[in-house]
Amino acid sequence: MELKKRILDFLDLRLGVRDLLARNLTEYLLPRNINVWYTLGAVLLTLFAIQFITGILLLVYYDPNTEHAFASVQRIVNEVPFGWLVRNLHAVGANFIVLALLLHMLSVLFMNSYKSPRELTWVAGFLILLLSLGMCLTGYLLPWSQLSFWATTVATKSPDEIPLIGDAVVRFLRGGAQVGQPTLGRFFALHVMGFPFVFGLLVAFHLFCVRRTGISRPPFGPGYEPPEPPRTFHHEEHPGGIPFFPHYVAKDIAVIFLFLALLASVIFFVPGLFFPPAAFEPADPFVTPQRIKPEWYFLWAYQTLRIFPNEFLGLAVQGAAVTFLLLLPFIDRSRERRPSRRPVFVTCFFLGLMAFIGLSIWGHFS
Amino acid sequence: MVNFDRRRFLGLGLGAITATLAAAALWPVWRYLAPGEESGAREKTAVPRERVPVGGALFIQHQGHPSVLVQYAPGEFLAFSAICTHLGCIIQWHADKSEFLCPCHGGRFSAQGKVLGGPPPRPLDPITVTLDGDRVLLG
Repeated sequence: MELKKRILDFLDLRLGVRDLLARNLTEYLLPRNINVWYTLGAVLLTLFAIQFITGILLLVYYDPNTEHAFASVQRIVNEVPFGWLVRNLHAVGANFIVLALLLHMLSVLFMNSYKSPRELTWVAGFLILLLSLGMCLTGYLLPWSQLSFWATTVATKSPDEIPLIGDAVVRFLRGGAQVGQPTLGRFFALHVMGFPFVFGLLVAFHLFCVRRTGISRPPFGPGYEPPEPPRTFHHEEHPGGIPFFPHYVAKDIAVIFLFLALLASVIFFVPGLFFPPAAFEPADPFVTPQRIKPEWYFLWAYQTLRIFPNEFLGLAVQGAAVTFLLLLPFIDRSRERRPSRRPVFVTCFFLGLMAFIGLSIWGHFS
Repeated sequence: MVNFDRRRFLGLGLGAITATLAAAALWPVWRYLAPGEESGAREKTAVPRERVPVGGALFIQHQGHPSVLVQYAPGEFLAFSAICTHLGCIIQWHADKSEFLCPCHGGRFSAQGKVLGGPPPRPLDPITVTLDGDRVLLG
């Protein structure tokens, strides 16, 4: 205790850490009716940290060359001690991140926390979602299996339908006419450095916005009234609220461990869930596996393209939907946040959710 | 009034759990990163006898390390690590003098691996040699 006090005194004299810790932990008050959905941010930070660490560990043994990539991944899984654990944490963890991102986005949407003055927080968060999907796409190619090769071939082919520039976009994405070593090179660079760098900046900005604006109060309960639109900058306080530390940190930790338990359950008891047979065959450009499908989080897009007779129209509809969501805070300017007072919004919310789930299931079985 | 005993107990318990989880996480990382035994680390190396002339030396890889096989007299073979015992440079064979010379700091070794001069502190590390018909086996 004496040592801990002396270290704190040293840091406090130079950096004022006691004040910093008080303002951001024990004296940082959250709304009394805050709910478990608010823990998803901490869950995501934890899952991203796991991806970052396991990604660096995989880099130690992975070889980004089409001749050796598959064998290097097999070596990691079969020969390197605990390589199977590192690889599975990374591959299965990616799926859990997308799930947590979608849940986080849905909860923010439902509680209308994207509204003024939190528009920038929403935009940054949505871009983080898109970037995460980009990292999933680029990472998918790296094992250079039949699944990797053909899923990337299908995904990079889709911009082909864009008028005038479609073919150029496809060649730019692939580094050539077909998926090959140039594709692996650029996807590796994007996955390992390009996207994570931008991702880090976006997450830092997103967290800054959350902290600077203040946590939004859940729009539930008899005492809630929509706030007046702000005319000047105002940090939202919650006097009489619960301290972030230790109260909400304890809740954060509990939900984090729930997600880690689910992650461990899949890795240890259902390891083949995200590894179909095509994931265990090296890439063969001359043999297309039957029923090649994208990963579950892209199935809605895959099925949307199949529904529309014109592929460009399908792409345009998807682009419009994504753009609409990105700009939602600037489109939906009403003050009202309570779902009970917004029947049209809630109806659209659930219809959209059912469409996403329905298209995904349809895409899986089609 | 805060009960320090209970607080201390809970704090110690939390610390113990955290330390256990940290160890459980770090152990696989350590094993993952620690270099394992290289393939062929215990295998013998077979060299055809005619590849090594009398009075000559042949540099080869043996169990992943640079090594040298010398036929200092007809049918008499010796093998050593080709790594100089001074600072780890690879030695060279000088057939005219029948000795090894380290190009880095001038260390000299005899055909039997003994130090003849220069800074090397000890002889070359020997490798067991056995004859198997027309092959020489190292290791």
